[in-house]
Amino acid sequence: MSFIELKHIDKQYAGADRKSVTDFNLEIKQGEFIAFVGPSGCGKSTTLRMIAGFEDITGGELFIDGKKMNETAPRDRGIAMVFQNYALYPHMTVEKNISYGLKNMKVSSGEIKKKVDWAVNILGLEEYRYRKPKNLSGGQRQRVALGRAIVKNQKVFLMDEPLSNLDAKLRVSMRNEISKLHRELGSTTIYVTHDQVEAMTMADRIVIMKDGVIQQVGKPMELYEHPANKFVAGFIGSPQMNFYDITLSGDTVTFRTGEKITVPESVISKLNGRQGEMILGIRGEDIKLDEQNLSVYGNEKQQAVVENTEVMGNENNLYFTFGGSPSVARVSKYEISKIGDRIEFILMPSRMHFFDKETEACYV
Amino acid sequence: MRTRKQKTANIILAAVLFILSLFFLFPVIWMLANSFKTDAAITADMNTVKAFVPPALNGSFLNNYITIITDTSFLRYMVNTLFYAAIMILAGIVVNGLAGYALAKINFPFRERWVMIIMLLMVVPTETIITINFLFVAKMGLLNTVFGYVLPMIVNPFNIFLFRQVFVSLPDDVWEAAQLDHCSPFKYFFTMVLPMSKTVVATVSVFTFLNVWNDYLWPSLVFTSSDLLTAQIGLNSITSNDNTTMGQTLAVITMITIPVIIIYALFSKQIVEGVVSTGSKEG
Repeated sequence: MSFIELKHIDKQYAGADRKSVTDFNLEIKQGEFIAFVGPSGCGKSTTLRMIAGFEDITGGELFIDGKKMNETAPRDRGIAMVFQNYALYPHMTVEKNISYGLKNMKVSSGEIKKKVDWAVNILGLEEYRYRKPKNLSGGQRQRVALGRAIVKNQKVFLMDEPLSNLDAKLRVSMRNEISKLHRELGSTTIYVTHDQVEAMTMADRIVIMKDGVIQQVGKPMELYEHPANKFVAGFIGSPQMNFYDITLSGDTVTFRTGEKITVPESVISKLNGRQGEMILGIRGEDIKLDEQNLSVYGNEKQQAVVENTEVMGNENNLYFTFGGSPSVARVSKYEISKIGDRIEFILMPSRMHFFDKETEACYV
Repeated sequence: MRTRKQKTANIILAAVLFILSLFFLFPVIWMLANSFKTDAAITADMNTVKAFVPPALNGSFLNNYITIITDTSFLRYMVNTLFYAAIMILAGIVVNGLAGYALAKINFPFRERWVMIIMLLMVVPTETIITINFLFVAKMGLLNTVFGYVLPMIVNPFNIFLFRQVFVSLPDDVWEAAQLDHCSPFKYFFTMVLPMSKTVVATVSVFTFLNVWNDYLWPSLVFTSSDLLTAQIGLNSITSNDNTTMGQTLAVITMITIPVIIIYALFSKQIVEGVVSTGSKEG
């Protein structure tokens, strides 16, 4: 049974000519870690704030633990929230920030001490206990915000881009800490982020949104392997999936600039007889430059000139133009190419995605 | 690193400022020096440099001050004024602070128009509404009471605007976090908003104190009982008394000036911030 249920949720701000969130439907199981991702302005934070009770719900119903919450005050929804800018109380010490809610909830002082000790210990804040937020680093402040959320034993954790103000290295370590906390506490968590890497690495399921509408809901690898449309395919994965305008005629794919490749019957059959103009998508790691693949798929070999390279250490990204579109191939660190090198590659047929040119829905 | 030329320029600037400050300070120095003298000594020193030098420390050095404290009720008036200022500061922070918070953070119809009205009220001189206030207080039967003196002075458009300007920049997510921490709106105001806005609270307190301390017109209308009079009225009644000597007059002026100088010295930062954030100074 679902623990949080959003049924046909709409949000339209007064004076706005369109809805910020449209017909949002989602069921979240107890203990699940759900990530809302999407570009800025897609409605992910608005949806989270509607769940928290900080935004009115224009239409639809919200249930938490079986109770309708549309009109319930935020404090009575059984939620704890971690904010993007931490929202710590600047004049209170770490300890007081964490214990403030418990005091207001009339928890006994012995119990408060026990819980604060536990939170401070689990989050590694012991030595900062009596410091004020201004004397803490970004990561430490975020840990205090987490501490304030976890001590209250609430049923639901809401996190609104909690790591977006941290530097890249700290973000990775905090990502792990949040995942670890989630596993230890088993709380139901909704995590809003614009960073698809955070969503992929932390969430049990991801909700991808665009213009206030859910594009796809699924497990991280489901979204990566089977995107519902071109937007999802492009949003999930780094570097972004390569897209080409093509014409499919029989088993032959013709690119805008005239290059042709033959696609095996196993792929064509999945298209259910669709032919003509469409969009072909393929991920960077599925463009192969290695000898083995080049020899196996020798007839489908293509050529391009490297325009830029990114040496990532563990792998290299090669940028070039092919089929009239900017392209990137993700190759192993041993496959070294320089700018200006002419490279030969093949597009792995089994890894191709085909999208409708008009609706951008994914066929395969 | 500062160059030699810059250093010389700074020294010259400091010297000019020092000389200028003497021009502004000389009446204060004169007042202070002569407040310890007898009238005969003041007259004798009038046209000499000695006018700026206090007399030698002897048994009669503080005579003028002792006379003021023992023979008049001026000390009581000063305590009264401090008491009124304390009430006005506390009530003013609560009332004007809440109004400023509402104008800054709570959505209600025509909120921006209300802000405009408050700003317009700032340019209305107290003298123009004092008759209405007086009639109002008189009708309520509050003349000659502390309540009657304090009540019309609590709401202050300048302070409301000052609070509003500061509260508008408070982050909304702290209020949201506080709501999840089971904090009521009033508790949030007193335990979060005011402590987070210490500077404006200090500024408003300083301005309120100076207002009350320097106010003459309103207390002179409301109070007739000598037990309730304020320092400014006391000053007037003492200095206009024919039996008061020149030295005593200067002593009483010194006594009423010192708290203001101390307040300016301690809170000059807050006063400047108040002027900067509203573009005007009250009091």
